[in-house]
Amino acid sequence: MKHSSLELLTGLFAALGIAAVAWLTLKLGAGTLVSGDTMVIEARFDNAGGLSAGGSVLISGVPVGRVEAIRVDPADFSAIVSLRVKSDLKLSSDTMASIKTTGLIGDKFIALSPGAEEVFLKAGDRIIDTESSVDLESLIGKMAFGSVDKTAEPESEKPSAPLP
Amino acid sequence: MTKRTFLAAPLLALLTAGLHAAPADEAMSRLRGAVNEVLGIATKASSKSTLAVSVTPVLRKHISFETMTRRAVGPGWNSFKPDEKAKATQLFSSLVVRTYANKFTPGEQPRVDYKTATSPAAGRVDVPTTLLYQGSRYSVTYRMEQAGGWLITDVVIEGVSMIANYRSQLDSVFKKGGAPAVLTSLQQSVSKQS
Repeated sequence: MKHSSLELLTGLFAALGIAAVAWLTLKLGAGTLVSGDTMVIEARFDNAGGLSAGGSVLISGVPVGRVEAIRVDPADFSAIVSLRVKSDLKLSSDTMASIKTTGLIGDKFIALSPGAEEVFLKAGDRIIDTESSVDLESLIGKMAFGSVDKTAEPESEKPSAPLP
Repeated sequence: MTKRTFLAAPLLALLTAGLHAAPADEAMSRLRGAVNEVLGIATKASSKSTLAVSVTPVLRKHISFETMTRRAVGPGWNSFKPDEKAKATQLFSSLVVRTYANKFTPGEQPRVDYKTATSPAAGRVDVPTTLLYQGSRYSVTYRMEQAGGWLITDVVIEGVSMIANYRSQLDSVFKKGGAPAVLTSLQQSVSKQS
């Protein structure tokens, strides 16, 4: 009798462990869960590289939503990102969205910076004033190796002949 | 009835396609004109300070400094008094003009290549360009809005928006000291540039 209650306890403990792992997976997978009423707005980027569904949406560093989906606009191949944010946020129509990185090589998130207009974004509206991911690698490449056009110059640099 | 709608559909599509293509072209030609006008002045200018003075009236014609200032200040703008708004607009426009005039070497001619303009929303056109200046290539996108004519409202250089950059700075200044602090910091930046 005593033997079986120990087994039951061990089983219960294991089940609790599995439940905890499942809860954590859900919580981390979905990103920060937004509580309360939410709405979906869209943002149009030239390049959403590195951003993924579930990523955070921040205003002044405070999480206010998450990235719901990313798709390509077939008309001009821009990236359309759907953001689920709290619906009580009064985001002005000139709000800007920027894709930023936590630290130097960390995760990508979206930072919203509200503007001054007194017209507010409604569900389904689209933010068009955006900043895409800054391509750090290509910037470093430019700094390190210079532009293609520059390497052709050094020969003529000293005499500084006037251009025709 | 069905036959008529059948005929009308392609006609309507053609018409709307025409309407969609027009704003991008219109904005593009306006931008080309503005850039050429500015470059014409820039090649004649002998020094950076004379360039800033001579180019200002032309830039005012093509750039909506009022919109730019309002957006650069951000949420704090609505608590500015009318005279503070006017002062901020004046300071911000001279800051922008001087910052960019200082980057310019007299006598150097940049080359601007225009790419296909897109219209992400009604009354808005983005014109991506490549700027070749002193042997370096920069990607510059002009954001233009229709307000009477087509005016430049933001410039995105290498993916960094000028308005977003100023907004993050000015908003934190505003949170510390309100409108007077924003005006003081703009004033300081302008006098540092001259």
